[in-house]
Amino acid sequence: MPSAADTRAFLGGARLFRGIAPPELDALGGSLRERGLRKGQVLFREGDPGEELFLVQRGTIVISKGVTGRVEQVLARIGPGDFFGEMALFDRAPRSATVQAESDVTLLVLDRAALARLTEQSPRAAAAFFEALVRVFIERLRASGDLVAEVTRWGLEATGLDIESS
Amino acid sequence: MSPEGVEQPRRAKLELLVRGDDDESFEVRQIGSAAAFIQSRPQRVPDAAFELAEVASRIGPQPRFILKNTRTERFLLLSEPEKFLWEQMDGRRSLQEIATAHVLRYGEFDFDIIPGLMRKLQRAQLLTLTPGSRLRQALARNRRRQMVKMVETALFGLERINLSSRNVQPFFRRLYRWGGFLLFSRVTAVACVLLAIAGLVAGVRLWREADEVVKGFGAHPFWAIVTVKLLFWATIAAHQIVHGLALVHYRRRVREFGFTFLHGLVPTFYVDVTDIFMGGRKARVVTAVSGALVHLVLGSIWFLVALRSPLGSFTQAFAAASGMIQWQAFALALYPFCFIEMDGYHVLVDVLGVPTLKQDALAYAGACLRGAAPRRFTREEALWVGYVLLSTASIGAFIAFNVWLVLRAAS
Repeated sequence: MPSAADTRAFLGGARLFRGIAPPELDALGGSLRERGLRKGQVLFREGDPGEELFLVQRGTIVISKGVTGRVEQVLARIGPGDFFGEMALFDRAPRSATVQAESDVTLLVLDRAALARLTEQSPRAAAAFFEALVRVFIERLRASGDLVAEVTRWGLEATGLDIESS
Repeated sequence: MSPEGVEQPRRAKLELLVRGDDDESFEVRQIGSAAAFIQSRPQRVPDAAFELAEVASRIGPQPRFILKNTRTERFLLLSEPEKFLWEQMDGRRSLQEIATAHVLRYGEFDFDIIPGLMRKLQRAQLLTLTPGSRLRQALARNRRRQMVKMVETALFGLERINLSSRNVQPFFRRLYRWGGFLLFSRVTAVACVLLAIAGLVAGVRLWREADEVVKGFGAHPFWAIVTVKLLFWATIAAHQIVHGLALVHYRRRVREFGFTFLHGLVPTFYVDVTDIFMGGRKARVVTAVSGALVHLVLGSIWFLVALRSPLGSFTQAFAAASGMIQWQAFALALYPFCFIEMDGYHVLVDVLGVPTLKQDALAYAGACLRGAAPRRFTREEALWVGYVLLSTASIGAFIAFNVWLVLRAAS
């Protein structure tokens, strides 16, 4: 079990919490739950309900979306210091992808109530958190655009379809 | 790096997660587009959709070939190696195998020849890269399994069985002269109506005693019905022959007549009646309807035979079941709402002037299910919705009726 100091040090290094001062980080650390996954364990599947954000403390998880039968497209791999599941924290919609542990994993769980507390008790820390979140959103949006382009290019190359001269 | 020192663009890769049989095991595979390309199995259009002719050259020693898409009227000029590759593109061989065959045949390989040919063929709509039917796609996806591969091979084998002739016009002309012309007279039309009425009356009377009639099958009702169905397939030939006679009646040409396994599954006779599209609407409608009338006539005769047979005898049960299946075939052939492009469907689209009704309706239904359908609802969209709903309901009713019939016979 990591100590509070270890957790604070970890959170301070995670880009989502970089702008938050140590006392507020301590308070936030206290409201995070720890959760472990063994290799291969599915955290949640596409379509499951959910309202938590997960921060990877140790190990790697793989995020995938169903394509056909038992085949899924890998959307991203998330390693230590990075996070996922943030969409359900805000829109209450079912999970948009499946998350599975690629190795033994330790996660920190931030739920809606903890986020509400942070916003209420320390608006400055909450603002820093949301700014970091938006920056990551933008990064991921760009990555999604790149993925769409890559998949399209893959399809064209794999079928030999010549769009330019057809 | 290319030989010229210019860096080639990186080939695209997909990262796919393939789940194992249990809940947790999985494997992540990176699939490069190049690997997918050489594993793809290009499939040329069906034989009826193209024509290939050799062009003798007075200058070069190499023969040339003209490939024509008979649907789009587009032409391509192929070299002999390209013709060889075209013949390999049967949907079974991967590009890798095709390239190997090319090397074995010509002792050399130009790496641009296949992509170049495929681009030409795709532009001329002569090539697809996926198997035609959903069943075939599912089989192709699971080709690594031995059993699936065997089923796929069997289907390909059956699909290749095609006993046909393109020189059938003289046969149909003789048949027409020797009495076929009588089918298209007013007397025959009246006789057909009277026979249908007599058959209907007989059918209704038999229906009242249905329980007694089916008892005639004795201890093996299921196999008796299977025999009736097999006998029915033989009458499909008569259906197609009448289509051909109709063509001769309207002075059009029967281009082909034969037997094949449709999609590798359904044994069927067929006749190429495409020349009738050069005739008028009446000719097209008569050609479409006349084939189906064979089932009406045969069904009526079977019902009359059943009515004359001793109650509860095998003859009566067999004749009644045959009459039923013939009338079902008549209704099915002329009923346009069943997702199958049969005679009635062709009449309907001809009358409506919407030759791609089924394809458009299914595309619209798919878009509705995906939530991607346009918001405005025009008459055209109403027609598509109506077609899909009616077809779905009709198929459901047809299956339910047959299941009920077999269960009733078996019990």
